[in-house]
Amino acid sequence: MSITQSLRRTGLPRLFVHGAILVIALLWLLPTLGIFVSSLRDKDQITVSGWWTAFSGAAQTQAVRLDDPTRQTQDATGFVIKGTLLDGAGKTVTAFGTRVQEPAAYPADQIADLGEGVSLKVSADGSYELRKATAFEGDRGQRVYLTVMTPPAFTFDNYRTVLNAEGIGKAFINSLTVTIPATVIPILIAAFAAYALAWMEFPGRAILIAVVVGLIVVPLQMSLIPLLKMYNGVGALLGVPSKTYAGIWLAHTAFGMPLAIYLLRNYIAGLPKEIIESARVDGASDFEIFTKIVLPLSFPALASFAIFQFLWVWNDLLVAMVFLGTDKDHLVLTGALNALLGSRGGNWEILTASAFITIIVPLFVFFALQRYLVRGLLAGSVKGG
Amino acid sequence: MKTILKTGVAALALFATTAGAAELKFKPGEDSRLNWGSYEEFKKAHGDLKGQTLTIFGPWRGDDEALFQNVLAYFSDATGITVKYSSSENYEQQIVIDTQAGSPAEVSILAQPGLFADLAAKGYLVPLGDDLAGWVKENYGAGDSWVSYGTYKGKDGASGYFAFPYKADLKSLVWYVPENFEEAGYKVPTTMEDLYKLSDQIVKDGGTPWCIGLGSGGATGWPATDWVEDLMLRMYDPATYDKWVSNELKFNDPKVVAAIDEFGKFAKNGKYVDGGVAAVASTDFRDSPKGLFAIPPKCYMHRQASFVPSFFPQGTKLGTDADFFYMPTYASKPELGKPVLGAGTLVALTKDSKPARAFLDFLKTPIAHEVWMAQSSFLTPYKAAKPEAYANDTMRREGEILTTATSFRFDGSDLMPGKIGAGAFWTGMVDYVGGKSAADVGTGIQKAWDGLK
Amino acid sequence: MTGQIVSAVGVMIAGVFACAAYYWLSDKLLNAALPVRGADIFADSRNLNRRAVIRPWLFIGPALLLLAAYLVYPVVATLWLSFFDRSGDAFVGLDNYRWALTDSEFRQSIFNNILWLAVVPAACTFLGLVIAVLTDRIWWGNIAKSIVFMPMAISFVGASVIWKFVYEYRGAGTQIGLLNAIVTWFGGDPQVWISLPFWNNFFLMAILIWIQSGFAMVILSAALRGIPEETIEAAVIDGANGWQIFWKIMVPQIWGTIAVVWTTITILVLKVFDIVLTMTNGQWNTMVLANLMFDWMFRGGGDSGRAAVIALIIMAAVTPIMVWNIRQANKENGG
Repeated sequence: MSITQSLRRTGLPRLFVHGAILVIALLWLLPTLGIFVSSLRDKDQITVSGWWTAFSGAAQTQAVRLDDPTRQTQDATGFVIKGTLLDGAGKTVTAFGTRVQEPAAYPADQIADLGEGVSLKVSADGSYELRKATAFEGDRGQRVYLTVMTPPAFTFDNYRTVLNAEGIGKAFINSLTVTIPATVIPILIAAFAAYALAWMEFPGRAILIAVVVGLIVVPLQMSLIPLLKMYNGVGALLGVPSKTYAGIWLAHTAFGMPLAIYLLRNYIAGLPKEIIESARVDGASDFEIFTKIVLPLSFPALASFAIFQFLWVWNDLLVAMVFLGTDKDHLVLTGALNALLGSRGGNWEILTASAFITIIVPLFVFFALQRYLVRGLLAGSVKGG
Repeated sequence: MKTILKTGVAALALFATTAGAAELKFKPGEDSRLNWGSYEEFKKAHGDLKGQTLTIFGPWRGDDEALFQNVLAYFSDATGITVKYSSSENYEQQIVIDTQAGSPAEVSILAQPGLFADLAAKGYLVPLGDDLAGWVKENYGAGDSWVSYGTYKGKDGASGYFAFPYKADLKSLVWYVPENFEEAGYKVPTTMEDLYKLSDQIVKDGGTPWCIGLGSGGATGWPATDWVEDLMLRMYDPATYDKWVSNELKFNDPKVVAAIDEFGKFAKNGKYVDGGVAAVASTDFRDSPKGLFAIPPKCYMHRQASFVPSFFPQGTKLGTDADFFYMPTYASKPELGKPVLGAGTLVALTKDSKPARAFLDFLKTPIAHEVWMAQSSFLTPYKAAKPEAYANDTMRREGEILTTATSFRFDGSDLMPGKIGAGAFWTGMVDYVGGKSAADVGTGIQKAWDGLK
Repeated sequence: MTGQIVSAVGVMIAGVFACAAYYWLSDKLLNAALPVRGADIFADSRNLNRRAVIRPWLFIGPALLLLAAYLVYPVVATLWLSFFDRSGDAFVGLDNYRWALTDSEFRQSIFNNILWLAVVPAACTFLGLVIAVLTDRIWWGNIAKSIVFMPMAISFVGASVIWKFVYEYRGAGTQIGLLNAIVTWFGGDPQVWISLPFWNNFFLMAILIWIQSGFAMVILSAALRGIPEETIEAAVIDGANGWQIFWKIMVPQIWGTIAVVWTTITILVLKVFDIVLTMTNGQWNTMVLANLMFDWMFRGGGDSGRAAVIALIIMAAVTPIMVWNIRQANKENGG
């Protein structure tokens, strides 16, 4: 990269550049890191403590119930209920208590006198002994509060829940079936249109460009009802279902079209005039100029638009629900993940895990296309602007 | 273009897979708590629909959807109809789009009678007939009220019965942890006066009595509307409540303002609420009940509907670890009895068909209710559904409140026009907790309501 | 599963192929219909001229058809609806427009939208440009770029959860929101960020900036790559420093792209409602036009008349941008 090299030679303090980018990258990463860590945490912990506390072992106070009196045994000194309160995994009890207001009244391994001749000992490993001279009564176990030192714990349970959900594999394929053509078709159509708007002479060109720009703003929601009506009409006329893949491709193509034409036209119009003129002089037709010269030269712009269109279609729920339907056979990934949330939402563990599952494919696309953004395709072919 | 369409269709055919018959959760005839007689009877009467399909659009997702699918399995088993159930987080938009474009599901299930009323007025709902209305009146606890929540004006302006109630939620509940009460020596209050006394006592003992959270993303504020509705029913008679819901009684009427201020006695009292007043509006309603289970407890009481146990920490056992009491009434107003505030989902036909009618018949059988009752999170005012079928005592006690209710009132915010009940009312309550006076808030909401006409 | 994948791939190929075939075939057809045989010069040049007249329309035809059906037609329908009542049945004249002028929530939205328009496009473009330029200069630039790009790939639902864990407020004890944790760590009082009057707008804007800077970065980065190296080399030889190269050479060279990015984000800001909808739904005076429109369109069965008016106002707001673009296009034609 010789731009880079030449800039380097100019001697702007490089430390400053590294520092600035580091700060920006951290600022951008931190919120995402938050849910990534959250997605690996226990479901009940997510809203109880900050995600950054997940890395350090923490003292947690928890309530547990001792075994109920049916489990009591009798020995020489009286009646006793024994058992263990921890499920292992490196946890240790540091204190316990029997009153919720003083949950850490006794240190571990101490024998606590609970009054009425009852004594309780909870050991650091979580085993306990509840003793009394006479028999225990009642049908529920005593509640005890423990302060437990817990090592940092992460779990893949949330991901397991999401990935094991019924129909998720099918939804994944449905999403791809919607997204890939809905990315490729608009690029093709928009590139031809953009070329025409940039390099071909015809009346009303400027107005058309302005209209296309203006159409970016049309609120999608406004067009859903008239369009679905149209789809239902066309479907009834041709005797086909109104909710098809072809239908959703065209919808996404059209919704992405104004932005695509605008971005691509801007790029294609900026291509060096000399290349196109000399091709025309050589007798190439516009079709040939477009496919042989303009299209390859426009790769960075095509790739960047492809990324955005892919993202938008991949993450879309509304258009898919309206034009592809909500039934299980055609559910896209966003829809399937959405259906996992309870009726009242708030399943942060599922939200966090699914956010990362849906992000994988777009990130892959970004990395795959990034090299086209980087290639200096025009380098060396132009003499200034 | 046509090629694309055709390939699309071909793909559709390839993609369509037959839904395998789901297993029946309880084997017919085995569990004696369930009314199998009604199931067999229904099966006999609807044998002619085999192979047809029925589309249902409803509000249940996640765990609730799984429970509902278990109910649908019995319907499919009995009739041979394949049911395609779908839901969406944006079901309110979805139903508006689908009905207006002319391609709705056959059966639509919604929790907002107000929205159904709107759809009925635009002519998008199929009338269910007075016979069904009579049946509901006869067989449901507080049947009159339930009928009225399914009765709307059609496109022609004439009143008709459009929506059948299935699944109810009980709102007037205060949740608490029995052992925390026991330890501190608190008694479950039976009058509103006692509830205030208990709250003061908790404050005196150094605790915080209430967890209140109004946060709900885009719907922030709704839990407060439930509070106000519960208090409206406890301060005035049901007729006043009805007038308020239909805006005959203005939102800035001193009566309504007083009810809002009554809510303020809880929510705007920094000593009463966990985290102080500032936390009330921003705490998520799904997170706020967790304060009950903190150690030491962040609060002792939480007023919320019967659905809230799904937001309790994992492993919480209802009845032992957590329990509820009926939100008490004022001892000074014995003439008001014990009013019940609730909500529920209503079933309407957005496209008439035989399978859809059969589905309504199915919902009239006790078994359609009992199968869900025996799982979890389902209450029904249907008197023929056996209370023994409830999965636990807590649900049974809640169900009892519903079936024996004399005056049952539907969640008012669901009955008001959407822009009020799911808009100005929410925003108003958030503003109120944020410091505005009740009178200003009432006037603001009333202004928004006037703006609709 | 394999069957499903095979059929999916088949459908995709057929769809894309059908589309590509149109351009190829239409070009062949045009050439065949208006042949240039080299026998008759006058006929040939007439045919060539005719081809030149027709061909642009073959190229933009599909795009125009799609735009007309999917965007222009709904705009016309919207215009029509704006004169009708909530269910679209009764003609009400200008009532809906009159309502908009007097509605306080509407005025609030206009005010907030102006704030958004003033801050977000500028911030995104600036950050995008800075990141695009600086990341070119360091070895881990691509990693940094990917990090800035990542928010673009996250769905709005995911983004709202992410920011919930940033702005969350807890009254006493441990904060689970990052921002409040930082504030309390420095000894400050935790704040309810999303309900702070006036400033809450900026906290919501931060989310969109966080998402959209990646867009600006990618587009501008591609444009920067297009700057001929010779230009920069020449400047370096002339003794220009990095700062001068940036302002005097890079920025003017990609000025057109900067304007495009700015325009795109401006229009996006007018359209975006997901953030406001999921974070506050316009409460605490954060309403913006797009969310207000959404609200009137769907809530409680909707009011298509009022929603239409708001949609038209959003569209009208782009007029200056369109005018600017016409001028731009004409200038290119001229030069």
